[in-house]
This record gives sequence, C-alpha cells and structure tokens, in this order.
Amino acid sequence: MIVELLIGLCLLGSVVLFVAPSRYAGRLAAGWSLLPLALSLFMYAGFSGQGNAFLGGQLAYETTVQWVSLGPYTLNWHVGLDGISMPLIALSTVLTTAAILSAWTPIEDRENQFYGLVLFLEASLVGVFAALDFFVWFVFWEAVLVPMYFLIAIWGGPRRKYAAIKFFVYTNVASLVMFIGFFALIFGLGDSIGSLDMPAIAQALRAGELGSLAGVGPATLKTLAFAAMFAGFAVKVPVVPVHTWLPDAHVEAPTPVSVLLAGVLLKMGTYALLRFNFTMLADVAQRYAAIIALFAVVSVIYGALLALAQQDLKRIVAYSSVSSMGYVILGLVAYTVYGVGGATFQMLSHGLISGLLFACVGVIYNTTHTRMVDDMSGMAARMPVTTSMFVAGAFAYMGLPLTSGFLGEYFVFLGTFHADFPGAAWFTAIAMFGIVIVAGYLLYAMQRTLFGPFGVATDHGDGGAVRTDGGEDADSGAEHDIKRAAAHDVVPLAMLLALVIVLGVAPEISFGMIRDAVAPLLTGGAG
Amino acid sequence: MVATITAFAFEVAPAIAILPLASFVIALFAGKYLPKRGALAGIAATGGSLLLSLWVALTVAGGATYNEEIYSLVTTPNTFDLHFGLLLDPLSALMLVIVSLVSFLVHLFSLGYMNDEGEAGLPRYYAGLGLFSFSMLAFVFADNLFMSFVFFELVGLCSWLLIGHWYREDAPPSAAKKAFLVTRFGDYFFLVGVVAIFATFGTTVFAGPESFPTLAEEALAGSGGAGGGAGGLSTFGFGPGAWFTILGFLVLGGVIGKSAQFPLHTWLPDAMEGPTPVSALIHAATMVAAGVYLVARMYGFYALSPTTLAVIAFVGGFTALFAASMAVVKRDIKQVLAYSTISQYGYMMLGLGAGGYVAAVFHLMTHAFFKALLFLGAGAVIIAMHHRQDMWEMGGLKERLPIPYYAFLSGSLALAGIFPFAGFWSKDEILFEALVHGIGGSPLLLGGYLMGLTAVVFTGFYTFRMVLLTFHGEPRTHTARNPHDLGWSVKTPLAVLGILAATAGFVNMVPVGTILGLERIELLHGWLDHGISGLTVEHYGELTHDFAGYTTGALAGSEVLTVLLSAGISLALALAGAGLAWMLYSGPNPEAHTERLGDVRTLLMNNYYQDEYQVWIAETFGTGVARLSDRFDQSIVDGAVNGVSEVSLLSGDRIRRIQTGIVSNYATLLTLGLVVLLLTVGLAGGWFL
Repeated sequence: MIVELLIGLCLLGSVVLFVAPSRYAGRLAAGWSLLPLALSLFMYAGFSGQGNAFLGGQLAYETTVQWVSLGPYTLNWHVGLDGISMPLIALSTVLTTAAILSAWTPIEDRENQFYGLVLFLEASLVGVFAALDFFVWFVFWEAVLVPMYFLIAIWGGPRRKYAAIKFFVYTNVASLVMFIGFFALIFGLGDSIGSLDMPAIAQALRAGELGSLAGVGPATLKTLAFAAMFAGFAVKVPVVPVHTWLPDAHVEAPTPVSVLLAGVLLKMGTYALLRFNFTMLADVAQRYAAIIALFAVVSVIYGALLALAQQDLKRIVAYSSVSSMGYVILGLVAYTVYGVGGATFQMLSHGLISGLLFACVGVIYNTTHTRMVDDMSGMAARMPVTTSMFVAGAFAYMGLPLTSGFLGEYFVFLGTFHADFPGAAWFTAIAMFGIVIVAGYLLYAMQRTLFGPFGVATDHGDGGAVRTDGGEDADSGAEHDIKRAAAHDVVPLAMLLALVIVLGVAPEISFGMIRDAVAPLLTGGAG
Repeated sequence: MVATITAFAFEVAPAIAILPLASFVIALFAGKYLPKRGALAGIAATGGSLLLSLWVALTVAGGATYNEEIYSLVTTPNTFDLHFGLLLDPLSALMLVIVSLVSFLVHLFSLGYMNDEGEAGLPRYYAGLGLFSFSMLAFVFADNLFMSFVFFELVGLCSWLLIGHWYREDAPPSAAKKAFLVTRFGDYFFLVGVVAIFATFGTTVFAGPESFPTLAEEALAGSGGAGGGAGGLSTFGFGPGAWFTILGFLVLGGVIGKSAQFPLHTWLPDAMEGPTPVSALIHAATMVAAGVYLVARMYGFYALSPTTLAVIAFVGGFTALFAASMAVVKRDIKQVLAYSTISQYGYMMLGLGAGGYVAAVFHLMTHAFFKALLFLGAGAVIIAMHHRQDMWEMGGLKERLPIPYYAFLSGSLALAGIFPFAGFWSKDEILFEALVHGIGGSPLLLGGYLMGLTAVVFTGFYTFRMVLLTFHGEPRTHTARNPHDLGWSVKTPLAVLGILAATAGFVNMVPVGTILGLERIELLHGWLDHGISGLTVEHYGELTHDFAGYTTGALAGSEVLTVLLSAGISLALALAGAGLAWMLYSGPNPEAHTERLGDVRTLLMNNYYQDEYQVWIAETFGTGVARLSDRFDQSIVDGAVNGVSEVSLLSGDRIRRIQTGIVSNYATLLTLGLVVLLLTVGLAGGWFL
C-alpha cells in the first residue's frame, strides 16, 4: 500500500494547496513535498525488489487489485517497483521539492494553484513509474500532460500559449500513435492474455505468442508496433527530429517547471522506451539496433551543435538535454549491463544535473531578468555561491569524473562500444565527441556570463552593459539590483549538487539495483 | 617487524592524495575565517604528503611494491570492473615525491606571491591548489587506466579553476576556457582509448599478469605469423598489432593535449594568465607532466608498437624544436618559460619514443625541479617588479635580488643543459638514446635526434637572453631600480630548488658511468629497474628490442666514443647558443636584435599562426556548423511541424480563442475535476480496500 500512500500524499497535497491561501502556499508546498520525499527515500532505503518488474522479477511494494472487467480484459490496479522504477521515483520526489523551493522567488501570482499543480504532477509522475497495468499507466501518462500544460500556459513567458499548445498537441499526437501501436500488439496477442497487465504482455510477447492481426503476420506486426511506439515515445524523450517542442517549452516555462520538465518528464520517454520497446519487443530492437543507434548519435551531435548556436541560457540547457538523452537511447540499444544500466543511470544523473543547471539559470534570471549570454557578464562577482553551483553543475554536465554525469556517460560508452550490433564501436566513438562540444558551449556560456568585468544590460534599453567594480563580497550592486541569491534559492542547488557528487563517487547506491533489474533483459548474455 | 612497517607505509599511502583533498575542503568552506585564508592548511597537507611520499619511496627502495585495489566504484560480475587502486612502484614513488615537493614549495611561495600582495579570492585559490595536488597525486598512484582518466580530467578542471583565477578580467577566463577545451579535445581520444582498451582486454590494470600491457604482449607473441588469432581478444576486425597501435594513438591524444605537444600546444602559452605559482605547478609537476607520465606508466604497452613509438619520438623532437624557436623572440618572461616548457616536454616525448624510458623519466624529474625553480624565480622577479613581466622593463636585478638571481641562474644553466647542472645529464641522455637507437637500425629516430639537437642551440640562446635581459645590464625602468622586497616564503623555495637544479643530475650520470665502467653510478637506472615484474627498465628494453626492433648502435664501434661525442656535441651547441645570447645582449644597455629577423620575427611572434588556424577550424566546424544546424532546425525541422499544425490543429483562430483569459479557470477546474474523478472511480472500483 505504500505506493498508493505516496501517490495519495501528493494528491492530497495538491488539493490542500488549491484551497490554501496564496501567501502561505510556497512554504506549505515545500513542507508538504517533504512528506513524499521522505517516504520515497524510506522506500529506497528499504527496497527489496529483485529482477525486472516486467520479466517475472520479485517486486517491491507491489499491489494488485482486481478492478473492473472490460470485455475480455480485466483491468487491475497493479503497481510495484523494481530497480529501474525505484530510482526514478526518488528522482521525481527530489526534483519536486527542489522545483518548489526554486519557485518561491519567481512565482508571485496564484501561488496556491501553481504549487497544487506541481504536486499533482508529482503524483502523476510517481504513477507513471509505478504502474504495471497498461490502463493505470496510461491514465497517469496522460495525467502528466494536464498540469504541465497549465504550468506553462499560465506562468510561462511571453509566448507561453504557443509553447504550451505545441507541447500538448505534440505529445498527445505522439501518445495516440503509441497507443495504436500498443493496441495492435494487444489484439495480436488475442486470447493469450486476459488483462492489460504489462508484465504479462511482455512475457507473452517474448514467448512468441503474438498472432496475426488483420492479415499482417506476427513479425511484421511486431516491427510496425515497434515503429509506432518508438515514434510515440521519441517525442517525449525527445529524439531528433521530433524535438522541436522542447526548446520552446523550456524557454517559455517558468524555471521551476523547466526543472521538472527536463529532470523527470523527459525520462518518461526513455523509461517507456525501455519498458515497451526494449523489453517487450527486444528482438525487434536488436534487429534494428543500428538504425536506432543512428537516431541516438544524431541526437547527441546535432543536439549539441544546436546548443552551441544558442544565446539564451535556457535554450542552451534545453538543447543539451536533447544531446544527453541521445546517450540514453544509445545505451538502451546496446543490450549490455553497462549499456542499459548506464542508460538508466544516465536518466537519473541527467535529471539531477539538468535540474541543477535550470535552477541555476533561474536564480540568475530572478535578479537579472535576462537569460541572454550577451546581456550579462561577471556575475561571479555579485553571486559567488550561485556561480559556484553553476560551475559545478556545468562541469558535471560535461561529464567531469567524480560526478554522476561522468559515470552515466561512461557506462553507456563502455556498454555500447563492444555491443553486438554492426558498427557499435563507430557509433559510440562518434557519440563520444559530444563531450567536446558540450564543454565548448558550457564553457563559452560561463565565460561570457559569469566571468569578466561585471555588467548587466538593463531592461530599459539604455544602451548596453554598465560596468561596475566591486570587491570580492560586494553587496553594493544597487544600481542593477544584482544581489546575492536568497538562501532558499541556493538550498535546492546545493541539494542537487550533493546528490550529483554522491552518485558520482558511490554509484553503487543506485547502480546496484539498476543492474539487478536490467540483467534479466540481456538474454544474449553479452557481458 | 620490517614487514609490518612496510605494510603500514602502503596502508597510509592513500593519505598522500587525501591530505590535499582535505585542504581543498578546508580552504573552500572555512578559508574565509582562517588566518592565511587556507594557505596553512595547504602547506600542512602537502608537507604531510611529501613526508608520506618520502616514506613510501624509502619503503619501495627497500624492495617492496604495492598493487592493490582500494575502492570499488562498481562491482559488476562478469563485466568490466571499475575501481580505484594503488600502484606503488619505483616510478610512481619517485613521481609522488616530485609532485608533493613541488606542490609544497608552490604553496609556500604563494604566501609571498598571493597573500602578501593582498590578492582577492584566496580561499578559492588555495582550494584550487589543494584539489590540483589531490588530483595529480591520485593520478600518479593510479593502478589502472580508468582511474588515470578520472584524475586526468580532474587535473583539467583544476587548471581551469586556477588559470581563470582572476576572473574579473577578460583574458584569464578566456585562457582557462581554451586550456580546458584544447585538452578536452585530446581527452576525447583518450576516452575512446580507455573504452576501447576495456572492450579489448576486459581490464585497464597497469601491472600484473592480468594487466593490459601483459595481455597485449602475449597476444602479439602468440599470433606471430599466424595472423588473426589474438589470444581470444576482440580486436575489432584489425590485426592485433594494428589494433594495439590504434589504441596507443588514441591514448596518445590525451597525452598530446595535456603535455602540450604539437599541434595541441596552443593552450599552454595562454595559460600564463594564471598566477605564477600556478604556472610553476602546472608546468613542473602536475598537468603538463601528467601526459608524459602516462606514457611512462603504460610504457609496456607503447613499447609493443614501433609505429606509435616512432610517432611519439617524431612529435617530441619536432615540438622541442618548434617551441624553442618561438621562445627566442618573446618579451614576456613567462612567455619564454611557457615555450621552454613545451620544448622540454618535447624532449621527454622524444626520449620515450626513442626507447629511452629512464632518460625520459630522468628529464621529467630534473625538469620538474628546474622549471618550478624558473617559474618561482620569475614569480619573485614579478613581485619585485610590481607585476610587470616585460623583460625589456627589467635589467640589472642581479645586484638587487641576489638570491633569486643565483637560484634563477642555476635553473637556467640546467634548462640550457650546461655541465654539470641537472638538465645537462638528463637532456644529454635523451639525445644519446635517440642517437644510439637511430644508428642501431631505426634511422627514423635520427630525424628526432637532429631536431632535438638543433633545439639545444635555441634553448641555450633563449635561456641566456632571458637571464641577461632580466638580471644583467643597467636597470631600464624606475621599477627595476627600486624593486619590491622579497620575503622568506619566496626565497626558501628558490633556495631549495636552486640546489636541486644544480645537483639532481648526479643521480644518473650515464657518460661518467659508461666511461669509467661504473654502471652502479646510474642510480636512477637501477632505481627504475627493480619493482614489479613487467614494469622494469630491463623488461621495457626487451620489449622495444623484440617488438620495435630497437638495437643499440655505436659510432665507430665504440660505446665510450659515442657517449663522449653525444655529450660533447650537445654541450657545445648549448654553449654556442648561450654564447650568441651573450654576444647580443650582454652589454649594460642591450639592444633589441629581434627586428633584424624581419618576417621571421613576425612569424615567430605570431607563433607560426597556430592559434589562428585552430580558431579558424573551431569557428568553421564548430560555431559555423552549429549556426547552420540552428537555421536548419528552425526553418526545416520545426517549420515542418508548424506547417502541419497550421493546416490542421493550430489554426490561428483557435490559438486566439485559447488565449482569452479563461484558461486559468480551466486549469483549476480541470485539475480538480481529474482528482475527483480519479478518487470516485477509485472508490467505486475498490482501489482502497
């Protein structure tokens, strides 16, 4: 019942916040979000699952309740965790708390609704990662879109309506495509399944029980379904060329929402790819591995190049997410312990690091009211702590050893280089070049914005940056109101950074359970 | 009892690196409140590291070695093992002493250079120094290539932090970025190399029967002539020999970046933007040394591939000459030293490529002492000159700064390779190795030898031009007439290093040993020849002989004559270069002769336009392609999406309707509605039993 308690806490918090007065909403939300956070960490500490949830592993915190019968299918409330979903749930709760704290400063309007939606989002995210019945899963999957849509459309930037609608339509069309693909499989399986239980479906598919559907043979059906589901989930990840909703959504979304969007929402895509495409239809994935790897490598390099061309700090981080998620796809397709395990670890790591970077950009934006690289310089002199966090986050993003960013990428490279599919070593070697480009754009952005003589272009367009000299601990940036960040702005940064370093030094904390859950997937036994 | 003491020395060896890590943490979080802003913690930590390193070295001298895993990052059964471990053998023990000594002296010197000069950001500075020492020391005792890569990268981070220390100015952050980016470009190849070595051998351990150099050696020995079979190793469709050469080249990418070899040397002169003690640390003992040390560390692997060795030798020889020629015209004292560093590491690479493992390690050691000395000496001059670095504004500092002068002179004599200073012995040994292996059947090495030999003239010239312009003649500015006083914390490191620069060469007097037939006098040779089997000089000699075909030749069949001739020629050339400098710059008011070089001067001043073409490449293939991609992305990729939506879902009319304000109410209603719906359905469906 503990998963239900977790989801229930989030939902209850959501309701409470909607009726709470705006004045206290921020503090109430932060306090409330500690409950699911503490609960998920408690679950993490006591995690006892073994094996893969979809492949007959022993689940932690499992509940199965028969609910309604719908034609030939029984709908069950079936939730449970394995070593892949547990870290992602913890990530969701951690990032929710971080996002709420980082929203205190920028969100000044209808706070109660904002935080209510964030907690509702948290509930849906937990649900997505915990659900094992397709119907339950799909409800949560779609439920994520609703709060996200409003969070962007109401509290976003000038083009928020466009971005929100683009996000909503794009991902909804993708869900539809995926849904059709999945149901083609369900109908193809015919009588061999009696429910929409995803583990049962996965095992039936892997046992080769797929029949023909409307004259299409099982092999073709599988391939078509794979393509449909891949396309659907690829939008969420996002994989080039269906990534264009992401920069718009990020730029327009308020920063705390960006934290969640990059931190957890993108992982829904890779999580679903792992569960559906790469678990249920592993044979198809392995047959077309080179093509999928090509998509991954293009995402890595092209995404990084796009980031290099940007002037808006948020766009830089947004495009670099496209690049980083490419590594996840590359790892998944490898079908090795380090490949798939590394991909999962990279989801976790990228969630923390991109959240950290977005939050840093937000803290700077709160005071400068600009995110353009050209509009500011020398912020380090005025915001030393934020700068340190930004620098640390950026280096983690570049894959600096002893941060989780290094290990996520390194695992993937290690796992993919010797994978079985043709050209694996070449794909990996090319994808690795991403580590040079990422260093290029992040170092450039930091050099321009954080270092050099201090100056910020004001909003009033009085012609360029005004230079001011100040001591090391200058707090006299009165003419531009550039102040050190408040403590509650820095706390989420420090929290995320600490996790990034802990996972970078002691990866076994997560990688242990991830590896355990990934191992049954690797039927080929390729090391 | 002896055994337990030995074991204990190795047990506490991790503290050699952990102490500076502790000083990093202290300086970072508490530096603000400490009397010297973290300097004392750093001095104590690196001093402790030095003592422990000496203890480890003594223990190793007693014949003990250590090769153990200390921390497992990931324990994955049946696949690659990622761990940190300790490999303490003569090579690493020697390097630990060098690094911790230089680091300790640099911390001490910083008291005078940073604290006394009232610099800002001292906690950050000392935190950076601590992290730098930690990373380098851990890199040195790494027992596997994965761990080496980890700390190699951290060394890069530290250089970024310290080069960009004065972040309020424009130049240092830019130089820091360049240093990190250029070395990262090299590290890309290194990373591919580490991953490929894992994929090939299943391990990246340096020493032992299951180490990758040993496995590679066995694979090559086993596949002799049979073709293909590489002892069950996956060589990705290549023959084992070719594949190992590729692996060697990949790792070499990182080496060329960090050790500033052509063509990735361009970051190093810019890195002079950092505080001078940092330059000393980077050039003498940490970052730049890391590359060469890595080749020495896995020499058993490089020795298997004649192609790689030849390339290392050639790149080294070329870099030695190329960089030395640029140092000739520089006005800034730190710039001269920067190019001399590139040049000297070129010699080390030449030595390694030419099969002179001992010679290269020897030069790594002597260079660490005399280059740290020269940079700290330059730092002393810069303090005295109130932070002016142009040598043409100096002159006549000899009388006013006697201790820095004599120390600097000692370092300069060592750098120029004048008998009997340290650099003479080590540089001569490198050239000797290149010569004897060149005439012994690997004529390609003679190319490297000739370039190295030519560079000797340049080295003698620029070194003494620097000494003469800085210290001799009449003071040319008011500041030079009235230099700033220097404190003990500045003078002590200079004195220590001055003595070492004069005497360190005596540990391996090859010419003396050969002529007198006293091989025991070659102490360093003997030192590096014991320890873990497979990591000894003797083994490396066999490998270069068997796999690279290196045999020792002699001029006119006489070993003694060859040694004498080699030493004589290089000494004569060094003196010739120094003499030329003396002729041109020794008067009380020397003139600038560089104008006479005409177009050559322009070329040298602009560093052969290396920066320009690299920036051009970066801008064309980096920024240029990025801009194109961006335009493509916005017009074609996103354009297609918007085009589709335009005609179907998102017609302008609908957007306008959504924008009419009531959205917010929808938000609340919809969310609440969904919650209520879920709750009702859940209750009705019996979710909450």
